[in-house]
Amino acid sequence: MKTLRQPTLDTFGLGNVLDIFKNGKLPVNADSLVDTIFGDSSNRGAIVISGANGIVGAGKTMQLGSRLQKYNIPIIALDFPGAPDGIGMQYQGLKGSFGQKQADEIMANVIRFNYDGKKLPSQLKDFNPRFLLEAIPEILDIKKNHYKVFRETFPGIAIRSVTSGFPSSELGVGIAHPAFPHQINKMWETVEDTPSDITKLLWAVGLIPVPVSDHWSFVLDVLFCGLMSAGLRYRQASNMPYWKIDKLIRKLLGPNPFRAHDAIGAKGANFLTWSCLYHLSETYGNLFKPTFDLEYRKESGQNWYPLNHFRPVVNWTLSDDELDEMNKWILGPMIQMTSLMLHENRGHLSHINAICEICAQFRSGILATIRQLGTEKSIKLVEEYHKLDPQSASSCWYPEVFEKINDPEWQQLYVNAEHDGSVGLITINRESYNKDVDIELNCAINWLKSENIERVILSGDFHFSTQLVGADTSDFYPALEDADKGYDISLNWSTTARRLHDEFKVSVGFLNGKRCLGGMLELMMHCHYLIATNDCQVGMPEVTLPVIPGMEGCHWSFRKAKKEDWSKISDLLFTGQAVKASGAVGWLIDFAGTEEDAIKMAWKTASGDNHGLTKR
Amino acid sequence: MTSTREMFSRARIPYGTWGSSFFPAWQTSALAEVNIGQFAGEAMNRILSLRKVPTTSLDYLILGSTIPWHWKFWTAPMIASCVDHRIPGFHLEQACATGLQAVIVAASEVHSNANDVVGVLTFDRTSDSPVGVFPERRAHERTMALADVWDNLGFDPATGNAMLSCAGFAARKHKTDRREVDELTMYRYEQYFNAKDSGLLDNVLVPLEVLNVQGKPLGMIDSDKGVRKLTYDMLQVMPELDDCVTGGTQTHASDGMATLLVTTKEKAQELSSRPEIDISFVGKTEMRTYPSLMQESPAMAVQKLLKKTGLTMDDMTVVKNHNPFAVNDVIFSKLLNYDWHKINNTGCPLVWGHPQGPTLTRVIIEALEEAVALGGGYVLIFGCAAGDVGIAAILKVTDGAK
Ligand SMILES: NC(=O)c1ccc[n+]([C@@H]2O[C@H](COP(=O)([O-])OP(=O)(O)OC[C@H]3O[C@@H](n4cnc5c(N)ncnc54)[C@H](O)[C@@H]3O)[C@@H](O)[C@H]2O)c1
Repeated sequence: MKTLRQPTLDTFGLGNVLDIFKNGKLPVNADSLVDTIFGDSSNRGAIVISGANGIVGAGKTMQLGSRLQKYNIPIIALDFPGAPDGIGMQYQGLKGSFGQKQADEIMANVIRFNYDGKKLPSQLKDFNPRFLLEAIPEILDIKKNHYKVFRETFPGIAIRSVTSGFPSSELGVGIAHPAFPHQINKMWETVEDTPSDITKLLWAVGLIPVPVSDHWSFVLDVLFCGLMSAGLRYRQASNMPYWKIDKLIRKLLGPNPFRAHDAIGAKGANFLTWSCLYHLSETYGNLFKPTFDLEYRKESGQNWYPLNHFRPVVNWTLSDDELDEMNKWILGPMIQMTSLMLHENRGHLSHINAICEICAQFRSGILATIRQLGTEKSIKLVEEYHKLDPQSASSCWYPEVFEKINDPEWQQLYVNAEHDGSVGLITINRESYNKDVDIELNCAINWLKSENIERVILSGDFHFSTQLVGADTSDFYPALEDADKGYDISLNWSTTARRLHDEFKVSVGFLNGKRCLGGMLELMMHCHYLIATNDCQVGMPEVTLPVIPGMEGCHWSFRKAKKEDWSKISDLLFTGQAVKASGAVGWLIDFAGTEEDAIKMAWKTASGDNHGLTKR
Repeated sequence: MTSTREMFSRARIPYGTWGSSFFPAWQTSALAEVNIGQFAGEAMNRILSLRKVPTTSLDYLILGSTIPWHWKFWTAPMIASCVDHRIPGFHLEQACATGLQAVIVAASEVHSNANDVVGVLTFDRTSDSPVGVFPERRAHERTMALADVWDNLGFDPATGNAMLSCAGFAARKHKTDRREVDELTMYRYEQYFNAKDSGLLDNVLVPLEVLNVQGKPLGMIDSDKGVRKLTYDMLQVMPELDDCVTGGTQTHASDGMATLLVTTKEKAQELSSRPEIDISFVGKTEMRTYPSLMQESPAMAVQKLLKKTGLTMDDMTVVKNHNPFAVNDVIFSKLLNYDWHKINNTGCPLVWGHPQGPTLTRVIIEALEEAVALGGGYVLIFGCAAGDVGIAAILKVTDGAK
């Protein structure tokens, strides 16, 4: 077995993706993991979520409650008697997502206990707690004492902290650090010695565990709080109001950190960001030192955006020089912080990059951004930033980490390839198709061809891409100004897609997850066969944007279908409505089945076994 | 009376840390749509940013405005929040003397060692003045609504006379000649347009974009909108509203803001882009003349100030005033025996309008820029204000590099 770079599943012990196809099944399944962790159905233990009425606690009570519902695991929600009803506030959202009946059932499984912070409620024993997810305030002593109380009462209990920043070594428990918005964000940064069943269970119920190293603040908060810190420092240098900095950062990178703090709740979020930066600065120096305005806003909990009646009156239009300086203030520290994380090997590079995009609203992950800038320009930006903010020059700057920028780990952030000598697999771990994916996909194809692989499966990565939603519309913006740019995108991406058809003896597009839409479906339909799970939604929503499918979806789909089915394809194109894969067999999809059947069929088809499908 | 040439010796105005918005005529720009206090605060922040002065260097804020604005009870602390730096401060007003008085008071703050860096921020919106109802026991029209600007200009409660009538009274007393008044006005317009073309005002006036509630552009404030090139013929045919007062020879209402800093000498050197330039305070005084002769009061204030400082008009490098009526300048010339051509080289409120609070602040800033361009010297600033008051001050600009 050979891989272009390490598959991300491997980072928590689930091996290669190609093995999933070869073995005809997923590496672990939720049923048996639940039995192992919580005991079998006759003797199911419970999860305790402490701080369950808090921002994280309530969100995770809902997320785990809904995903574990069918296993009858009691969810004990523990909090102080006077805590505001955070769980109750989640009910409307739950109803919106699942309907009243299922929402009621999920809530019925949540058992609420009050607790004084010292002595656990005696009835807790009756529920046999096996796993504690701690989501209480970010204060080290309180957390440690909490674990002590639990361990004394339930010696074998597994514990994970949701802490934003304390390393596992300080806390003495493993970490499962989630990302806002907690009821829906699937990502969890995990810290543990060896990949645990709990982490694998998170994966098996459709969440996204991402192992990171045991350093202060992990990856997400270094990036998120770091970006906030960069904005705050720029503000000190320029006087620019926070709201305007926020808009410019959004334009530059994607996130709006100030708005995010207000949205999460400035009071809590300001404190958490301060705490993260403060602890980072204790370890790593002035690069992370909190600014004075964060110091006082952590106390006051004041919002960063002006109040509604104070919506800004004076705009800040920047000259090119001013914009250039702002870029240094923002990108400089971000690149420097990234150098620190790479120096410390904080995680698989695709993890670090994906955390930016999935949890921190980056249009393009920080590593993809640095790759785009190039080593020389990136280093220069940091050096120029140091001239503006000399206090940061003295701490943690590791330009040498960018020397490896040409390695596959750097170059294949979004697309990986594996093969076993005869069948190759290309996995895409980004939900939407963009220029980076396009380039990396070409590299993956080149690599497989250089390894003389003629049979290939194209699939999501069974990790980050829990669905494939189509083209990344931010890549279209240049085309709004210049039609030729639009033409170029369409031509380049279609050329890549055609390689799947023209350059392999057999290519199989594999569609699992919730949906495969737009550009991603167009890409997939260039494969000789399309194999899907029954419930995967397939569709071409372009017309609703409105754009025209530009990766040959408007003709390639017809070319492969019988004339009498063309009206169905027209329906997809003209209404933008998706259909279930099981309903598109014969005219768009070649086979739809359960996940296991689909996996098996994909392997049979790719490996040339007797699959019984006729090539359309 | 002993003469002295130093006042507030600790206080300085750091060169180049100032700025003013343009003053669009009332009801002509986006400024008619906004809370002018908030606008002024945010504009001050932007101006300081362009001048590379961190707002965090400010200790204190003195506001000057004459027309009530929304939430004015919260005074300087509220506007400081719009500047985005939470400092204390207060608000003062003295009709059209506000823009100078605020600077003088800021200097006293610094000199008394109360604060080292004091922001002066003056502003007014004459457009759509708030409407006030003042219930009073003895008022014969108990609930009469007052729209602030026009009612005030039209009626001095102490004399019962309008500003405009005062101009007529003063013109008659000093026997000013309509032709000279028109010629002076023409010349003032030429001065303004020449200064604009020369680029000198680029260091003073900052274009600002105003946003609507959705955050979309509402309008650019990038000209003294309403100022048009006048010809002598046009002026000549304008009907007199009172002696020597026509639509052309009096100012117009406008909206705007202006800001500068008053600091210690050390701070001035730290904050200014040209630390070699020293701007200090020499003297200041005020005079109140007989009822309804406001237009002569500035000249009398200047006479008094010259006596106090032992300086003469010939010592002045720059002379600039707030002249809502052209007769002000003609009377000044007569009383001080000073050629009016030498006054207001870079424009004046007669031309660019009269937003009240910030008017004299912009006059000061323009005068200081002019003095620096001329290599330094004494700068005389003066003007009239409601209540037949004249105010005058002298500043001194020294260029250490010369
Ligand atoms: N807010 C976020 O977006 C976010 C994101 C990732 C991680 N975190 C981490 O999550 C943790 C909780 O943060 P939060 O923002 O949800 O805070 P929060 O204040 O909203 O919630 C904390 C809850 O814990 C309860 N509590 C306090 N002490 C307790 C105890 N001894 N036992 C049981 N309950 C107790 C409080 O009553 C409150 O309901 C922190 O460690 C924080 O760093 C927060």
